[in-house]
Amino acid sequence: MASGCLARIVYSDARHNFLPHYLAAAGVLLISPVIFGLAELTAQMSAQPLELMPLLMGIILFTPILAPEQNECILETVRAKKMSRHIVTGMRLLCSFVLLAVLIFALGGYMRYNECDVTVKMCAGALAGAFAVGALGFFCAAVTDNVIVGYMVSLMYVVMNLFLRKELGRFFLMSMTYGIKGCKPVLAVSGAVLIAAAMIYRRLAKNER
Amino acid sequence: MDNNIVIKKLNKFYGRKQALFDIDLTIEQGMFGLLGRNGAGKTTLMKTIAALHQKKSGEVTVCGVPVGEAAKIRAMIGYLPQDFSMYPNMRTDEALDYLGALSGIPSKERRKRVEEMLKRVNLCEHRNKKVKQLSGGMKRRLGIAQALLHDPKVLIVDEPTAGLDPEERIRFRNLLCETAEERIVILSTHIVGDVESTCEKIAIMDEGRILRCGTVRELLENARGHVYTANIEKQYMAQIKKEYIVTGMVAQAEYTTVTIVSDAEPDLPNAVLIEPDLEGAYMYCLRSNGCSVKGGEE
Amino acid sequence: MLFRHECKKIVCSAAFIVYCVISLLFFFTNYWTDCSDEVSCSGQGLIAVEDHDRIMDGATNSLMGDFASNRYECYPYGFYKAVHLKEKKRVKIRSYLEEITGVSGEEFDKLLKKSDPYFEGFSTKELYEFHDIPVKEGFSYDRFIEIMADVDDIVGGGSIYNPEGLMYSFSLVPMAEEDIKAEQDDFYKEDKITRGLARLFCDYAGICLAILPVFTAAWLTAADKKRRMQELVYSRSISSCRLVFTRYAALLFTMAIPVLAMMILSLIQALVVYKGHSMDMLAFFTLPTIWLLPNLMLTTAVGVLVTEIFSSPVAILSQLAIWFYSVMAGSLELSGGLDRFTLVVRHNTPFGRDVFLAEQGNFIFSRVFWTVISLVLMLLAVAVYSAKRGGRFNGIRLFGKDSLFRRKA
Repeated sequence: MASGCLARIVYSDARHNFLPHYLAAAGVLLISPVIFGLAELTAQMSAQPLELMPLLMGIILFTPILAPEQNECILETVRAKKMSRHIVTGMRLLCSFVLLAVLIFALGGYMRYNECDVTVKMCAGALAGAFAVGALGFFCAAVTDNVIVGYMVSLMYVVMNLFLRKELGRFFLMSMTYGIKGCKPVLAVSGAVLIAAAMIYRRLAKNER
Repeated sequence: MDNNIVIKKLNKFYGRKQALFDIDLTIEQGMFGLLGRNGAGKTTLMKTIAALHQKKSGEVTVCGVPVGEAAKIRAMIGYLPQDFSMYPNMRTDEALDYLGALSGIPSKERRKRVEEMLKRVNLCEHRNKKVKQLSGGMKRRLGIAQALLHDPKVLIVDEPTAGLDPEERIRFRNLLCETAEERIVILSTHIVGDVESTCEKIAIMDEGRILRCGTVRELLENARGHVYTANIEKQYMAQIKKEYIVTGMVAQAEYTTVTIVSDAEPDLPNAVLIEPDLEGAYMYCLRSNGCSVKGGEE
Repeated sequence: MLFRHECKKIVCSAAFIVYCVISLLFFFTNYWTDCSDEVSCSGQGLIAVEDHDRIMDGATNSLMGDFASNRYECYPYGFYKAVHLKEKKRVKIRSYLEEITGVSGEEFDKLLKKSDPYFEGFSTKELYEFHDIPVKEGFSYDRFIEIMADVDDIVGGGSIYNPEGLMYSFSLVPMAEEDIKAEQDDFYKEDKITRGLARLFCDYAGICLAILPVFTAAWLTAADKKRRMQELVYSRSISSCRLVFTRYAALLFTMAIPVLAMMILSLIQALVVYKGHSMDMLAFFTLPTIWLLPNLMLTTAVGVLVTEIFSSPVAILSQLAIWFYSVMAGSLELSGGLDRFTLVVRHNTPFGRDVFLAEQGNFIFSRVFWTVISLVLMLLAVAVYSAKRGGRFNGIRLFGKDSLFRRKA
């Protein structure tokens, strides 16, 4: 019964709320070969598209997760239901994460097929970065109740990464492109912390349970 | 100068779907009620009058000005939408000042008008409250204040009493009646009680058509001889609901007193003809115009 | 006053506060740290010189390598992209190489065999590199440029053979002592310090102002809809033109405030760092206004117009694409190479006065061009707003029931 409800919620969410975002993320994957050369690249050259494009996918998939309930009336209605908001949000996050992983590994697989020097570890690294920046967007949107702010902060963080390297230290998103080690685990943990912080904030400030 | 709203052969489409059919209507100064169920086309008609919607064909003039001249129309119309809402973080007086600025009222006059309006709708003591802190009734009063701010010739209010408690509803109706002394007020509602206690003239709409237009008295007259009351034993209630339009039910210990709308005298042993109320007259009007009426049927 | 109300609304919004925080953060982490000490020209390293022999030699060897490997290096969007050519186009490139080197037929094949193949990463593709292929003696530079332009076309544009970028790709030399001194002198004497610093300031701020304002603009434009106030505002007597332009003016005014604060901070920093030197006190206000205002105007106008037609996320994506193309496509040249239609003008150095002045015509043209485009976009926004207000248009939804190009009832 509960799993049936959950499946229905996930289906409805995917179909009515997030399909455009899922398609947009897949669109980013599809335009990658237009912007970058994705054949016969060395490990370091492969890292550039493999790190940069998933960042956009992460932002597109994670930032709008709370958008359907940005309207107070809708929030009030769904909050009054038995199903915990955390479970619903958790399912949305899981869907986004799985799709993000699939898209990144598809990109990595395509590049590998085209004789690029791409490894599973690099794809995992790209996933960590994309997850972190997506989580940043999710956190900002959750705290301000404004998806635009979520997009703004996460996108600007990506922009800053194009211009700053040293200043961002372990939080640098394009570490594989520049051969810097030790950033990806920090990013993965930061992403998880941001998501947990956002959920706790919603629980305390918005009484979401 | 013409002080009426004149509508001739008005047709309106949403894509391929026709929303208004050959509407002919003349609205004079005073309160005018638009009665109809949800989706009857009341809001569409009012938005067309307020130049917020494009018409497909026909003619609509407001005090002699065709609705095509949107700028002139907007200057003479005050509009309170069905779901009135404002920027939640603005103060009450600030919200009025902002909307006054959008109406092009000069700042000196605006300050004066805001003051007057706050007094008129009894919101003076809440002037520093943020909009989000106002109760439902206060918000509606703020809504009417903003619509009257630029002293419009026509006031259009769309289902203004929905969700208000009885006290606020009476207060709101009185406020509308006061304002109608010097202008045209069009009140759209699906609540018959609102129209009954405020409007002299009404139009009943259904599925984009005007079924009947006239005074409340004429409507009641039309339904005379078609409204009955009867005491029905409980086990027959289901059948009664199926056969007649039931507009009222009072449950007693052994039987239920029902009010019935019927074309012919009902085949009930204790049925008594009574004076129709507006609700009954409205239901009779719908029925006599061939509309599917489900009054009482479950 | 409506303008004051709109400004207040914007200033109190989360989108504006985040705009200020990010702008200042970007400013402090880039410009402020770069200029915290006296800038020195010695650190500038290489300089592009128009040495025809050097350019022809470098480009010919590179093209020879690319031809032999059949892999041409391109940067159409600022990122590396390898282009492989089909036989017909390869024949054309070969004919050009034969023309440039003056060697053809079997002799040319022999020339190609002078290099041993090498491999990259997992790839099994043979790659070649050449360093000593000579250009035919007396070969005309003009003809060479013609050939390079055609080669760039053949490989699809954005290649290192683009005539405008040849100097930056193949003719970079370390700066001579006298060049460094001349640059330094120009900075102090001609540019009066602040003019040079203002250019660097504009370089950084321009990047920010070509993307950040779209968020605030999209937020303000969508605010009425979000608060379900559209009909209320539509029914007022104010004209669409006045309302849209008042809001636009309020957006520009409020978003210029943090930029002004940064200009003042930069001037104060310069006064402290270059104490005792004579300075142009107005340079931090005049040049940035001309340089940055079109960026702010265009980004805001795109935000307003696209949100009015579609929705705020579409506006953000559109401006992101414009920004990405404008910044990344020009990333090869951090100064110089200014096009007449460049939106984000780059000049990532407080020096290079001559380079900047040489392109002043293009600079002024681009600023006027984008200002005019912004105003045109705003006029379109007025038309769209007016149509929505009168019920003639309800915006375009990309997804959902009444999606793309279908009017929503």
